[in-house]
Amino acid sequence: MGHMNSDLHTMAKGYDEFDRNYSIGYESGHSDWSPFPRVNSLRRTFLEREYYIDVERFRNVTAAYQENEDAPTVIRCARAFEKILMNATLHIYDDDLILGEIAAPAKASPQYPEFSVNWMLYEVMNEPFEEREHDQCYFRSEEDRQEFIDLCGYWRGKGVDDLINTELDDEQTKGSQTGRKIFQTNLYHYGGVGHFAMDYAKILRIGYDGMIAEAKAGLARIDKHDPDFASKRDFYKAVIICHEAAKKYILRYARLAEETASCETDPIRKEELLQMASNSRQVAGGPAKSFWQALQLFNYATTMTLIESNGHSVSYGRMDRWLYPYYEADIREGRISKEFAQELLEVTVVKMNNPTKVRDGGTVRVRQGRGFGGECLTIGGVDEDGKDITNDLTMMILDASVHTRMMCPWLLVRMHENTPYELKVKTVECIRAGYGHPKIFNDAPTIKAMMRKGCSLEEARDYAVIGCVEPALPGRENGWHDAAYINTVKFFEMVLNGGRCLDCGPHCARWDRCGALGEHLGPDTGSLDTYQSFDEVLESVDKQFAYWSDQMCSTLNIIDKAHRARKPLPYASAFFEGCLEKGIDLTAGGTKYNGIGPQASGLATCADSLAVIRQLVFDEKKYTGAELLAALKDNWIGHEKLYALVNGSKTHHYGNDDDYADDMFRFMFECYCRNLSGRPTPRGGQFTPGVYSVSANVGMGLNTNASLDGRRAGEAISDNIGPVHTDAGPHDTKGPTALANSVAKVDHSLATNGTLLNVKFPEDAVAGKIGRDNLISFIDAYLSKDPMHIQFNIMSSATMRAAQKKPEDYKDMLVRVAGYSAYFVELGKELQNDLIQRTELRF
Amino acid sequence: MSELGTVFDIQRFTISDGPGMRTEIFMKGCPLRCRWCSNPEGLSQRIQPGIYSAKCISRKNCGDCLAACEHDALIFSRGRIRSIDRGKCTDCFRCIEECPSDAIRKWGSRMTVEECMEVIRRDKGFYERSGGGVTVSGGEPLMQSRFVASLLRACREEGIHTCCDTALSTDWEDVERILPHTDLIISDIKHMDSAAHKENTGVSNERILDNLRRLSRTGSTIILRIPLIPGVNDDDHNIEKTADFILRDMNGRVQLLQLLSFMRLGVEKYRSLGMDYGMEGLKFNRRSFQKRVREISGYFRERGIECRIGTTGEEGK
Repeated sequence: MGHMNSDLHTMAKGYDEFDRNYSIGYESGHSDWSPFPRVNSLRRTFLEREYYIDVERFRNVTAAYQENEDAPTVIRCARAFEKILMNATLHIYDDDLILGEIAAPAKASPQYPEFSVNWMLYEVMNEPFEEREHDQCYFRSEEDRQEFIDLCGYWRGKGVDDLINTELDDEQTKGSQTGRKIFQTNLYHYGGVGHFAMDYAKILRIGYDGMIAEAKAGLARIDKHDPDFASKRDFYKAVIICHEAAKKYILRYARLAEETASCETDPIRKEELLQMASNSRQVAGGPAKSFWQALQLFNYATTMTLIESNGHSVSYGRMDRWLYPYYEADIREGRISKEFAQELLEVTVVKMNNPTKVRDGGTVRVRQGRGFGGECLTIGGVDEDGKDITNDLTMMILDASVHTRMMCPWLLVRMHENTPYELKVKTVECIRAGYGHPKIFNDAPTIKAMMRKGCSLEEARDYAVIGCVEPALPGRENGWHDAAYINTVKFFEMVLNGGRCLDCGPHCARWDRCGALGEHLGPDTGSLDTYQSFDEVLESVDKQFAYWSDQMCSTLNIIDKAHRARKPLPYASAFFEGCLEKGIDLTAGGTKYNGIGPQASGLATCADSLAVIRQLVFDEKKYTGAELLAALKDNWIGHEKLYALVNGSKTHHYGNDDDYADDMFRFMFECYCRNLSGRPTPRGGQFTPGVYSVSANVGMGLNTNASLDGRRAGEAISDNIGPVHTDAGPHDTKGPTALANSVAKVDHSLATNGTLLNVKFPEDAVAGKIGRDNLISFIDAYLSKDPMHIQFNIMSSATMRAAQKKPEDYKDMLVRVAGYSAYFVELGKELQNDLIQRTELRF
Repeated sequence: MSELGTVFDIQRFTISDGPGMRTEIFMKGCPLRCRWCSNPEGLSQRIQPGIYSAKCISRKNCGDCLAACEHDALIFSRGRIRSIDRGKCTDCFRCIEECPSDAIRKWGSRMTVEECMEVIRRDKGFYERSGGGVTVSGGEPLMQSRFVASLLRACREEGIHTCCDTALSTDWEDVERILPHTDLIISDIKHMDSAAHKENTGVSNERILDNLRRLSRTGSTIILRIPLIPGVNDDDHNIEKTADFILRDMNGRVQLLQLLSFMRLGVEKYRSLGMDYGMEGLKFNRRSFQKRVREISGYFRERGIECRIGTTGEEGK
């Protein structure tokens, strides 16, 4: 296997007896990570498969909409769901033990015209998916491409986005992705939302029959005195249609497995196929009765959510909790061996990678990857009473992760003061293996953040993480995490330049409506030319943040309501507490927690800029504000001295445990959180601020002018909650403890939509038993300071450079880009360079 | 008036010199002149300017250092600073204050114990979790033994583990001064032959070996190191003599022997200081040298000495 050049980037090796022998264990120096040949083979098949566009869903959903033009929206959605499930071509792959795809073959992207066809049609005609710089997708044939174009015709004006577009005014769009890209709301403007963890315990316990029974009971309960009778009736009917369809769909799989078995000559495989058929027959309506059936039902339940909507980050909640009863019972009764349970887990993990989604070009430019993405799987942590929940499955899921080293799921370990040492060891061994998983979440500040959202202590302790770093309650929260990417550096431009962009001029598409008329993009809250005191600068920052938060949040509220109006989710609703009780769809606020969580990028860029203003203009008085402004407008050209100074050791920088600069970061962090937190959402929840950028900081930097931290126009802005690194060099130079101390100086629980810290360690810094123990101690000491999250990239720059030169040899090299993992060679060149450049923290 | 020490660097989060995660204080000044020294900025007790030409943004764009220098000591070529005429330089460091780009930096600063402690305290949580602490190194820390003793005492008073990394080429009183405040001593044997020692380090080894013997009778915990330099001290005879010394003279107090393989470190610092690098001409084959280091490690272990390669290395690796 030429491309599996993986021994270059592994150090995984157990030292302690329990680690070497726990579960199946793992060792370094070979490219087939799993002890199960079946898993290695499934993994290879997955990696070698191409990414395709699949038009089948598009065809079925269009037909269903045409057939049900007079039906209420929610019924129409249910009928479309039913139509897809009844007509989808089913696939059973060699060696597989778990059935169910997203109504498309593995790694083929179905289309979701309910949300938007405008961008799809535009791109197919003008910027074909095949010709993208990265994240390409391919039509299987010219016929498919033509059908795709034809189908788009029906959907003109019918999408969620069409409704949104009619309601946005210029003040809202001027800063959005269609304007100056100060904030970007494209994800849910053009696609589904996802970003929740369903109540898996419920479906495993009561099955689809149980869901249907609840809906029927609801339907019987409502009466005509209720002014919302009709909408509740339609909702319940839609739920019943969806879940009846789900049962039939699963039976279709059962029949296909039986047919396949009848032609199978290998008796072992035949037996497996028959068992899968029997599992499917059981969970078509009934509850899961074994570990295998639990995994099978989990996969059906999840993939059907992805059939209903293309919202991503449909996360798996606390799998070691909800799955454990089935494992425990099977082991106790001797129905399954631990080895086979492990193999099933690993097969499931590989399978989790099959769903893919074509995103719009604008999103792809800032957020890369073709997987659905963001399927966070949470393990560890405490129960409602605060007791640690680590069990066999916790460890086995970590093993499954390191044995498969896939992009998904995004594994996350919750840690707290009583996390067992064994779990820390296993976690760190996976981290050291260098494939980008798992990430670590800190219970104390996260539980505090959950309580800020209104959860009780008991609820808060049951949080799981959605997507990158967004804490949420499984089965009780529709948090709209990842709702918008905010470029705070663009906010900051308005602070520096009297409410105008730094490059304000006739080249701007808005010039005729804005600058030419003497108008400002944002309010004029002062400029570097006019500020008389540093307090005036801070006040101006606050005003700009308030203004742009107004624009963004009111935009998101319009988007939120458009989803409710055009694309309710009757299938998924049944998995959330409250919806079936109240007869209210998930998109209409049926469940308990209903936030909207946008996320900020570039806070450190702003913080270092503030430090420069404070130090050079107001404290040392070496430069005037006008001089700083001129340097930015000139993109630093002709201002080499100032450029060197702000990038050098004589200026205060965030990330060095230096209170002068860290105070600026705290100001930015708190200003941002204060301006978003608590605003009401249309579903009766509140806005929740996040501080993470995924990889969007690179794309945002491309259309951001020079900044005072010593960044030239076009360079990446600072990522997540991390420090600045400009082309002139990284601004954090004091090593990982100093960085950790800086990051921990802010109250992370204020960022109720999560914070993210990336730390990259070179391989040799964590080598050996001493390296392992130091990494554990580092995590322990860091978490004791109450930050929310940390994740590590263990790799050398040399490895990454080699991968740039010979991508074909590094096809399976995973890196973690901010909150998600991606295959390094699939990333854009700029992002690759950004990764290489990030400060290499050395022990 | 609190005493001042000359410190040339404080590195946070080191894991090489002593257990766990540590903060390492590098004291400036050393009586030895080892040819392979990788910290040339630690040799002189004087505070020195160092030049990093690549960081200079050119006379055209800046030139502030030239304006600040009253002694015409800065040497430019092709528009950028290249070096300093150390005969003319009076160490006023005005050029360093003016330089915006870190092209001229100051090696060393005078610090109080409390100033060092302010940095040290910041990582206390990391020491506690990892069994780490503070290591005072250099240069030769015992050239400033009074200051170092005060610093180590201050650490001890705050419950921080202390380690001193010293070559021991000093009077015994200096050693005695720090011992009550030191949990771990790291020292090294560079060569058993006094003439060869003098040739390669500038001093003979009698006082060092004598201090080691005395140290082994104080009950101190000792980690001993050998910086293995190809063709200098890696021959069988020297290795055998070193093992003999450890077994016969060290009273069983050597907790661990660490073999540090030669690496060409610090070249850029020599350049910044206008100094020649003593190992410039050394040619050796990395692969066969590594093999030799493993042989030596095996030999020590055969002789019953607990031996590791590197500062964080595993047994026999």
